[in-house]
Amino acid sequence: MRRCVIAVTVIVLSVTLPAQLQAQLFGTDQVKSVAAGGTPLVADNLVNGPVPRLPDGKPDLTGPWVGGGSNADMEVEGGLKPGELPLLPWAKEVRDKRKTGDEPYTACLPMGVPRVNPYPWKFAMTYTSKGLTQIYLLHETGDAGYHRVVHMDQTKHPDDLLPTWWGHSIGHWEGDTLVIDTVGYNEKFWFDSRGTPHTDKLHTIERWTRINYGTLVNDFTIDDPGTFSKTVHLKFTAKLLRPDLDLMEFICLENNQVGAAGGYVPGTGTSNEIKK
Amino acid sequence: MRTKIKSGAFMAFISLFFAVPLIAHHGFDTEYDATKKVKLTGVVTKVEWLNPHMRVYIDVTDANGTVSNWNLELTSPNTVRRQGWGPKDLLAGEKVIFEAYAGKVIETRGALAKISKAETPDKPLFVAGGPEQPGFPKQ
Repeated sequence: MRRCVIAVTVIVLSVTLPAQLQAQLFGTDQVKSVAAGGTPLVADNLVNGPVPRLPDGKPDLTGPWVGGGSNADMEVEGGLKPGELPLLPWAKEVRDKRKTGDEPYTACLPMGVPRVNPYPWKFAMTYTSKGLTQIYLLHETGDAGYHRVVHMDQTKHPDDLLPTWWGHSIGHWEGDTLVIDTVGYNEKFWFDSRGTPHTDKLHTIERWTRINYGTLVNDFTIDDPGTFSKTVHLKFTAKLLRPDLDLMEFICLENNQVGAAGGYVPGTGTSNEIKK
Repeated sequence: MRTKIKSGAFMAFISLFFAVPLIAHHGFDTEYDATKKVKLTGVVTKVEWLNPHMRVYIDVTDANGTVSNWNLELTSPNTVRRQGWGPKDLLAGEKVIFEAYAGKVIETRGALAKISKAETPDKPLFVAGGPEQPGFPKQ
């Protein structure tokens, strides 16, 4: 019982203590405590502030953001109940058979859409004499392939696309929402470390809306008749990185020792061969 | 010399500040054994500020005088830097107390859970999330 009381007290303190007080507790001139995987977020008292806007009146979506996509299990993280993702039988079988040690991401390959990890990413707007021509999505820990291009100056996808990890993206504004339409994906990346697959028929639509100063919502639609029996609608939420921070250099292949402790060599993914 | 860890109030206090995954780049369970948590003392031989994850190497001497070099994984160097740990905060030659989850196959390749300098055991330099924490991703 006493342990429970302590635990509850700790939880309350952890949630309510402001960052400044936390810094005092640990001290700046003492040995520092370090969070692992804990990317600092915007302070709670700033989250509900107004949405900052660009000179053209559009919401500033820059970020950097943390979250806003899938990671370990897209089905649950996207707001569905276990078993609700309408996977075709072959896709469910593939997902069940895949092992996390084989996921391409752990071998420093790209994450694909809509995957994120606990590290920051941002939208980088490219304004030229023709206006907003491209938006780049930059992931600090992408892993390989850190940037993804959204063509704001195109309204149609090319009809001769080579399948790629990030596909071909075109974007437009619907009011304050940035809509990104992407096709042309390869079949290599996994939606999550659980191994949720897709085919090259994949078509995604992201609808990004900054609902307040500290929160960005991704209403995400998947259309892949090769994998799902119907269109899938998911919802993810990103939080703003602490405003004094930005993306840092990250070179995944520098010293990747994944697998050594567990006695395996990291895989580069498994194909969807089971359906064929 | 190895002892099982009992979660104390201080550990819980620190951990809940940072209730986040230790291994963000890959799953915990594929490499580490959540039931094999150890607490050891040793001497740092190397601190690697390398991607995708930092590593600290520590020589541990057992009761028979046999020395084992532990290779301990942290999180990304960027994450550790953002939290204020700099390149001078832990150096080769320093005596430390650490807790880690042992590797499933190679025991001395562990996931670092907590590390303190021997002279300041109550001021941990690094406290990681772990599988006993709320919110730790299940693989």
